[in-house]
Order: sequence, then C-alpha cells, then structure tokens
Amino acid sequence: MTRIKKNIAISDSGFVFDPGTGDSYSLNPTGLEIVQLIKSGKDFQQVLAEMSIKYEVDPESFERYYYDFTTTLKQLRLTESDGED
Amino acid sequence: MTKLTFERPIIQRINAGLPSKYGMAHKLEPVSHIDGVSIKSLLESYGSPLVIISESTIRKTYKTAHRAFSSRYPKVQFAWSYKTNYLNAVCNVFHQEGAWAEVVSGFEYEKAIANGVPGDLIVFNGPDKSREDLSKAIKNGSLIHIDHFDELYEIISLSKESVLRPKVAIRVNMNTGIYPQWDRFGFNYENGEAWDALNRIMASKQLDLVGLHTHIGTYIMTTEAYKVAATKLADLAVRIEKKFGQALQYLDLGGGFASKNTLRGAYYPGTDTAPSFDDFAEAITSALMSSEIKPDHLPLLILETGRAMIDDAGYLAGTVIANKRLADGRRATIIDAGVNLLFTAFWYEHDIRPVEPVSEQSEDTTIYGPLCMNIDVIRGNIMFPLLKKGDHYVIRRVGAYNNTQWLQFINMRPNVVVLDGKGKPHLIRKAETLETINSQEITPDHLAKFDL
Ligand SMILES: Cc1ncc(COP(=O)(O)O)c(C=O)c1O
Repeated sequence: MTRIKKNIAISDSGFVFDPGTGDSYSLNPTGLEIVQLIKSGKDFQQVLAEMSIKYEVDPESFERYYYDFTTTLKQLRLTESDGED
Repeated sequence: MTKLTFERPIIQRINAGLPSKYGMAHKLEPVSHIDGVSIKSLLESYGSPLVIISESTIRKTYKTAHRAFSSRYPKVQFAWSYKTNYLNAVCNVFHQEGAWAEVVSGFEYEKAIANGVPGDLIVFNGPDKSREDLSKAIKNGSLIHIDHFDELYEIISLSKESVLRPKVAIRVNMNTGIYPQWDRFGFNYENGEAWDALNRIMASKQLDLVGLHTHIGTYIMTTEAYKVAATKLADLAVRIEKKFGQALQYLDLGGGFASKNTLRGAYYPGTDTAPSFDDFAEAITSALMSSEIKPDHLPLLILETGRAMIDDAGYLAGTVIANKRLADGRRATIIDAGVNLLFTAFWYEHDIRPVEPVSEQSEDTTIYGPLCMNIDVIRGNIMFPLLKKGDHYVIRRVGAYNNTQWLQFINMRPNVVVLDGKGKPHLIRKAETLETINSQEITPDHLAKFDL
C-alpha cells in the first residue's frame, strides 16, 4: 500500500513541498483528492470506490491512471517504501 | 446527480524562477472544428488519422498573396509548385484561382497535363528532365528552366530535330546573404556562369530566351534576400537587353516564403516571425521597379510560392493510442500519426491541439507517432493537456510537403478530405489498403509457397 511521507506538506490548493529536498510540486484537483485519500489511509479499492461515486470513470481506466500516478509519486520520492517492494 | 468528468491525476515539479519560453505556460486551446465542421464527426466518417484540407483557406491565402503582388506591380503570375502538394483536387483549386503549374519532374509534368493545364502554362524546373521530357515540353511550348549545361546542350540538340523553338529560361543561383546558399541548382550569378549560359543560349539562335528564374531557398524569413535576388535577376535582364536588344518576357522569383509554422528550436513562434505576403511583395516589386529595366518593358513577375500558400489549409487529425511514462518520469503520449505522415515534424514544432475540451492542466509531454522507430517523434517536450486513450488531436499547418513526402512505411496512408466552401467534405484520396501495396508486387513462382 502506498503511503505518503509524513514530512511532506500538502496545501488545499494542491501545492506540495518536500522539506527533505526543498522541491515543490503542484497537483491537479484529481491528483490532490487521491493524495488526500491515500494520506487518510485508504488503499486502492477504497480510493476507487470514493472516486467512482463522484467521477465518470470506469474501474479499468482508473486503475491505470492510479498506478501511473502513484509510480510518479514514488519516483519523486514522496512516498515511503513499506517493505513490500 | 450527474458525475463529474474525470481528469487523470498528475503531479508536476514547480521550477521556481524558470518561466517557460513564452512567459507563463499557456493553455493549448482545443480546436474542435475546421470551417464549421466537427473534426470528431469527420474522424467518425472517414477514419483516424485523417488529412483535412480547407478549400476556403487555400482560396483566401491565394487571394491575399496575389493581391499583395498585383497591388504593387502591373503583371503578376503565380505558378503552383506541384511538389508542395500535388493532390489533384488541391492543384485544381489553385488552377481555378488562376495559377499556372510549376513542376520539377516528368511525373509532375504529366500530372499537370492530366489535370488539364495547357502546356504553355507549365514552368518546368529541376535538374532531372529526360530527353523525352524535354522533347514533350518543347512540343507543348512549356517554359523550360535550364538547370545545367548538359541540359542546355540536350535542348540545343533537340532543337535541331524540329522546327519548334524551345522556350527557355535559366535558373540562376546567387548569394543573397542567406545561409545555406543553394548553389547546386542552376548557374551561378557571381562567378559569371549565368551570364555565360545566357550568351550560349543567344548564340544558338535556335532557342527563345524568354525569362530568368531563381529559387533562393525555402522557409526564408528575411525579405532582404528577395530584394537582392530581384536586383540580380533584373541586372541580368538589363544586360541581355543591352547586348542583344531583347527584352525578357518574365522574371521568376521562385518560392521560399516562410510559412507560419515554427522551426524546431526557434525562440519565437512562426506566427510572430514570418514576414507577410505584403512584406515579401514590397521587397521584390520595389527592387524591380527601381532597377534599370525600362518601365515599358517590365517583365511578368512569376512566383512559385509553395509552403506559405498551402500550409495553413492542411490539418492532420487523429486519435490518442496510449499514454506512458518514460524512464525519467516524463509523460509520453502516443498518437496514431507519425513521421510517416508528417514528414515536416523533422523541421517544425507543429501546433498540435486537443479536439475535445480540456482542463487547465498540462504536463511536460513528448508526443510520439505509432511507428516502431525511435525517430518517430511528433513533438518533444511540449506542455500538453492530459489527453486519454481515445481522445482526439489535430495538428495545424500541415498542408505543405506532407501529402507529397509521406511514406508508406509500417502503416498505410489514410484518407484525405477537402472541405468545400460550404463545409461539405469530399474524399479526394482514398486510404491505402494491403491491396494497394500488393498490387505493385510480383512474387516469383518459386517464392510463392512455403511450409512452416
Ligand atoms: C524551383 C522551386 N520552386 C518553388 C518551390 C516552392 O518552395 P516553397 O515551398 O519554399 O515556397 C521549390 C521548393 O523547393 C522549388 O524547388
């Protein structure tokens, strides 16, 4: 399960700051919602369930975008490895 | 409750203090219609990808170009540069507007004749004209623009076989201050070769020297080069008249005006940097009017404008095949048209737009074509909206050189439609099929069968 590093600051407007590196990022609105759901401890199935209620998106597409997105978070070192990989 | 449209989630690094080339990143506005016709509906009817040509844009551009010159000079004639786009329907729009044909091979010559262009209104350029081509051109009274001495002697030899007098001009190459100097075509001005060739023609007494031609290069962004070119051609014309008492019928300044496309690596977009037809016309006509050519002998001014005349009228529309991540995390979007259809992607940063509405978000994206080839890049590093598989795109200003230089490579070439003045689509070139390709092949009997 993906977990966002605890020291990463995320504003309500989607601004992300990594105090470890000094890098800042911006999230689009869906990116922000997903990060917030991940932060609140939800796993992929739960994120999917919440997002599908609100948005017009089929589960297959969502899965693709979700894993592409979380892979990017990982590449940017914004997530913690939990020993699974 | 209706659900919201879903946009794929993204995160992007913010580069503080590093605004993009044109200041703040700007949103790429979608282009959903061409001449009032929905691109999506055209793709549904004619398949994806699809080349769409706007007849109204061709006519409008032609009229603008013609007016720019004819409002400054008494005798102006455009000749449509076939190699720029020789789809017959496109050529015929130009011919309907009054353009002659400018061709550079026996094949293009035949095409112009087949389209119904009278032989004496065909300008025949290029280094490769066979004896048969030349003989045909002489018979038809076409304007033969001689490229080299071997061709000149071939024409002199042909002229001895017939009573017809070949109508000839020479192509002149010259230093106009632009780089690279196209000195591989025609006869050089500065070293006296052009003058020698003209003397040789006059001495033959069997050829009619009717004009002078130059084509100084392509995608020229400075009008000054044309001023120099017109001045040097005028100088040769004046010297001919002085020495032989013969006024030339025309000066042909060739093509080469930059279109509004943006060159790869250019700092400013082509829409800001390309001079207008008025700018080019002013440079050329003022040079001719202030030359020493006698006012009552002003020659016809011929122009062979290619890319600037047709680029804007052509669109390439299609569909997103996939999105993926490159090793460094950047976005890659794969579309269904590659450099096989868009040869000009090698030198332009093409203006590619979404067809459907998009959000404000965009991402640093490289846009790849569908070919299994590393060079198949349509745009590197463009801030592009977040298109999904199945979404549509349209690439603007692709009218020049793509329908002639496109390759049947890995994929077939798609349908081409023209939108007429009322926006009605007409299929003008059918998509290729396996039969199109195989119909040209012959498999020997001993290679016809195999057991695997
Ligand atoms: C002889 C000649 N005339 C006209 C053209 C059309 O040039 P452009 O498309 O640059 O206007 C060309 C293209 O190279 C050419 O070789």
